[in-house]
Amino acid sequence: MGEQPVDRDTVSEIQEFMFREALALDERRFRDWLAMLTDDIRYEAPLRVIREGLAVWDLSPTSRIFDDDRQTLEVRIQRLETDFAWAEQPPSQTRHFVTNVLADPGDNPDEYKVHSNCFIYRSRGTSPTPSLYSLSRKDVVRRTEDGWRLARRWAAFDQALINAHNLSILI
Amino acid sequence: MNTKPESQSLAAWVEETREGIDSGRFPARAFNDQAVYDLEQERLFSKTWCFLAHESEIPHPGDYVTRYIGNNNLIVARDEHGEIYANLNMCRHRGNVMCKAEMGNASHFRCSYHGWTYKNSGELVGVPYMKEGYEGRLKRKDWGLVRVRVDSYEGLVFGCLDPEAPPLDEYLGGFQFYLDLYLKHGLGGVEVHGPPDHWIADTDWKICTENFAGDGYHTPVAHQWGFHLGYFPSSGSTHSQGWAVSIPGKGHGIGLGHGPNFPPFGGFPDDLVAEMKQSLSPEQVEVFSRTRTAVGSVFPNLSFLMQPFSLEPGEIGVRFVTMRLYHPVGPGRMEMYSWCLVPKNASQEYKKEAYRAYTLAFGQAGTFEQDDFENWTKVTQAAGMTMVRDVDFPYIMGMDSAPDPEFPGPGHAVVPYVNDTNFRNLWSRWADYLAGEA
Repeated sequence: MGEQPVDRDTVSEIQEFMFREALALDERRFRDWLAMLTDDIRYEAPLRVIREGLAVWDLSPTSRIFDDDRQTLEVRIQRLETDFAWAEQPPSQTRHFVTNVLADPGDNPDEYKVHSNCFIYRSRGTSPTPSLYSLSRKDVVRRTEDGWRLARRWAAFDQALINAHNLSILI
Repeated sequence: MNTKPESQSLAAWVEETREGIDSGRFPARAFNDQAVYDLEQERLFSKTWCFLAHESEIPHPGDYVTRYIGNNNLIVARDEHGEIYANLNMCRHRGNVMCKAEMGNASHFRCSYHGWTYKNSGELVGVPYMKEGYEGRLKRKDWGLVRVRVDSYEGLVFGCLDPEAPPLDEYLGGFQFYLDLYLKHGLGGVEVHGPPDHWIADTDWKICTENFAGDGYHTPVAHQWGFHLGYFPSSGSTHSQGWAVSIPGKGHGIGLGHGPNFPPFGGFPDDLVAEMKQSLSPEQVEVFSRTRTAVGSVFPNLSFLMQPFSLEPGEIGVRFVTMRLYHPVGPGRMEMYSWCLVPKNASQEYKKEAYRAYTLAFGQAGTFEQDDFENWTKVTQAAGMTMVRDVDFPYIMGMDSAPDPEFPGPGHAVVPYVNDTNFRNLWSRWADYLAGEA
């Protein structure tokens, strides 16, 4: 890294923030979750493409599964609050397992780059077969006067052909 | 319950289905059944023109994508001279898969088993130990990759496994008039925004084709959230206005939804509207300037949608175009490919806005797509129940609607937009193929 390591107290605070953020999603407290985001949040999931080993990229530079900002995330949450978000009627049961949390200094003094693994278990209705998603996340978190906030979520699926009929959950 | 004998042959079932469509009935069984799926592989996907790729996905010599027709995996590649070829992704020597990537660039494909090497056009050029092993008995020209017929329209590359099938132009049969809205909404044509969203679902491909052949009926219910919150520039009560147009005997269909007080070409930037007035014919301008939502399917499994989506409740919003391919992988199971098309010469700003509207509405995490797949997956699940073997669905909406004599475009245009005419035409064509009579 070559940079000053982030002190253990800060790492610990960031880790706790990441866990609480995941808990808000799993408990479907979407307004609480929105409150954990900065106003300039970028929320994106690039598309993975299976290519040869020496290819320049395997995460598409232009295609996104999620390509959101604060405004569009608000639309997603408003939608979930209606009675007509059929994809989440009944709601998915999700569990975000966030591990391997590493924090490095960010580009701004109050920001940190956070790498984590995220494994999401999602079950729908009475189906005994869950959808499983494994993702690599490279987020940015920011220390604000009101506490920690998520300023960027970047999450890449470890699968090119995603095995689920939709993605009506957040990652 | 009208119980049919278990021994009823598939051929008799297909015949009965064909007759039923004329009276507005279609069997639920068609949407989730191993025998029907097998018959589709044998008689439908082996004969129709199937979408392979958009030319902008493989713009440079050597660019390729791997795609399917039925269960056949194909390498669709642009060779060094700019020609596009589709070849079976299988080495002619022992059948190994030649190319395991979804896309890339290669001048040659070399088999990882015994090293047979082909040009990206499919021509066999390299055979290890040619002299020592084959002693002059192997002619390279006889053992190229298995080639599939290709043809294109406005950047859409189609392939056909049947050498005897009529040409693509005839197959499209006038539907080009409507495809132009998606493909020529800009003087430079369109390009893909990037690789397609790609996911797999327990959904029958036909439900998607039918929905996109003009199902305006589902929109106010399935996508009610959009109307409710004002992000969709229409209202549930006025949504039925517009035309449903089908190409009789070809299976293609499109819904052209109107919106009261919706401005001509609303949701497009002004410069793009000016370009469209040049790239489209006066008849096309007359039809499309009034269209708010255009949702169409090319038989059998390619669809398009153009509509505005607003990020500010009540506003007209921004138009985006999605193209989608429903690739069947089993009874009631499919792989979905979903692209966003953008006008090649448009401003980066509009391309970005259109793509953003697309991802929020469509693609696997899209707020419209999410609900569509929820519904379609449940329809597919229901269609697999044994009791459903004898259940028909009603396709009698607009049974007596006469074609609009004033309509300037080709095909059979009826009002209102909420109409089963397109679907009867679609299923009739589908049944002709399954009966071996197309």
